[in-house]
Amino acid sequence: MSGRILGLAWRNLWRNPRRTLIAMSAIGFGYAMLLFVACLMAGLRQQMIETGTSLVLSDIEVHAPGYYPKRSIHQTLGGRQGTNVGTLLAAIAADPRIDAASPRVYAYGLVSATTQSAGAEILGVVPNQEQKVTVLQTRIVKGSYLTERMPKGILIGDRFATTIGVGLGSEIIVLTEAADGSMGNDLYTVVGIFHTGLDAIDRGLVLMSLASLQELLRLPPVRIHEVGIKLHNITEATTVAAALGAQLGKTLPVRVRAWPELVPELADYVQFNRGVTFILFVIFFMLVIIGIVNTMLMAVIERTRELGMLMAVGMRPVHVVSLILAEAVGLAAASLVLGGVIGAPLLWYLQVHGLNLGGVGDEVSLAGVVVGHHWYGQQDFSAYSQAALGLAVTALVSALYPALRAARFRPAEALRKV
Amino acid sequence: MALCVGLVLLNLGQMSNAADDQRAREIVDRVARLFISKSSISEVEMQITNENWQRNILMRIWSVGEENILVRIISPPEDAGTAVLKVGSNSWYYLPKTKRTIQMPASMTMTSWMGSHFTLDDLVKQSHLASDYFITTSFEGTRNGVAVNEYTLTPKPATVVVWGKIVLEVRQADHMPTWQRYYNEDGKPIRELTFSEYTTVKRRLIPTRLIMRPLDKAGEQTALIYKNISFDVPISEEIFSLNNLKR
Repeated sequence: MSGRILGLAWRNLWRNPRRTLIAMSAIGFGYAMLLFVACLMAGLRQQMIETGTSLVLSDIEVHAPGYYPKRSIHQTLGGRQGTNVGTLLAAIAADPRIDAASPRVYAYGLVSATTQSAGAEILGVVPNQEQKVTVLQTRIVKGSYLTERMPKGILIGDRFATTIGVGLGSEIIVLTEAADGSMGNDLYTVVGIFHTGLDAIDRGLVLMSLASLQELLRLPPVRIHEVGIKLHNITEATTVAAALGAQLGKTLPVRVRAWPELVPELADYVQFNRGVTFILFVIFFMLVIIGIVNTMLMAVIERTRELGMLMAVGMRPVHVVSLILAEAVGLAAASLVLGGVIGAPLLWYLQVHGLNLGGVGDEVSLAGVVVGHHWYGQQDFSAYSQAALGLAVTALVSALYPALRAARFRPAEALRKV
Repeated sequence: MALCVGLVLLNLGQMSNAADDQRAREIVDRVARLFISKSSISEVEMQITNENWQRNILMRIWSVGEENILVRIISPPEDAGTAVLKVGSNSWYYLPKTKRTIQMPASMTMTSWMGSHFTLDDLVKQSHLASDYFITTSFEGTRNGVAVNEYTLTPKPATVVVWGKIVLEVRQADHMPTWQRYYNEDGKPIRELTFSEYTTVKRRLIPTRLIMRPLDKAGEQTALIYKNISFDVPISEEIFSLNNLKR
């Protein structure tokens, strides 16, 4: 029976091809737009998480308990005795979900050229390890990233360079309170200047080699403040952080944080972005309801006589309801296919070429994230399928009223209708 | 009639109050200028204790008035040779390790000096107490068997100062300060400076041991000990030059 009803429904849809095609193109085009927006929103999320975590942070960070966010230079991993950094990194790398790990030392100090000085956060890294975890090396605009060959090299942001009036090759002095209370100070050479577009980083961060910073702070090599971790799949950050915390905690007091905890405003933004996407979905579904109710109601009223005839020859009301619902679902399914056909090249284009935001000067930022001159999309298949499922359910719900109306026809009266 | 007498008494009361304030102002001003003279050369030891380390810093300070100050670190060896020159509102640091002189941002004179609980301004810029604050006498009498006056200093509206209130206790007999407490704008005490070991140098009585305690960190303190101080000695202007700083 159900097979026959589906066949009948499909045939009915094409008895008035113009009406069906108009409804189909409206819904299909709407679905394509929905895919387009979902793809852009996912792209924005992705970009935001990436700039938020991959420039200087990382997916997961390991600290001594109490170190973060105050960042006192005395609270190193393993306390004052420090810890064997090699062993710690090996223990972290043992988790197959982890791509790379990099040890770090932080300080805050006065960075000074001859006449101008400014406070900055100083980050000490092992150059080749850090480049596996973060992507700051891709944002160098002058010179190069830190290298082992230049232990007294320093990397600064372009804004900071302007503030203190230095350029590539300039000598700068870093002054900070060392771990023993003495005034750590030394001379460094600017080997590279980076530009991330994020003001806080471009204006307030300088990088040098881990060993140089430890020397400046009079910290022995066993004392580090942080291990930054890159995962193969960032969506696992919270789970891996919990597992790692439990694992490392057996031998070393640690506090492991995933990025949502390190940058809660970023996690909030992701939530907000999903919320906005959801609201757009709901608005679209409401428009679809109107479209389908209208189409199906017309189809039912137009076929009053025919439906009355069917009921007169023994079709039961439940079958009439099924028939109308099947027509609605058929309409939705055909629309989805059409939407997919229109949408697929759009999605491909967004991912490959992005949306050109124009402009030649500074990069464009949205909600505090640098998106560059092109806003790239990101495929979010779960959102696409949710939209499709939502659409099918919407079609069923909106066909309910026309279907029930048809089921209440009295055959004798219906037959008399022209 | 009774009312008239009352008014007269009230007036008298106000007059004596005003006179008291003038007296209080003089005493506070004298306390603020204890270490300031036409010129001075001193040797000062800072004994710093905080939760992370303990260290002693010996330094020599040259000053002419309040505007020209040179501080040179003598020990410990890791900081020896480091020097600060302050001329007017400009300050420079000389760092012997890098053999470079850097100009200090003005704000740095208001933050911890060499990791101690004193700021550079605490050491060299105390004289504005009397001019920047309203002064009232908040206690007169005997404490621990010593006759003392306590003064409360509240900032004048137009002045830019760090503290919401400063309370200062002075011995009545010789006007020597015994302690000074600094409050924030919410009226919470933040740090306390105590004075002791009063000595006469060139007919000037001065406390030679100053201890600063942050009140929110138990156990931490910085003791500032004047090992040697001479007032009104001739100092050549050249001492306060960038060239001399690098010496």
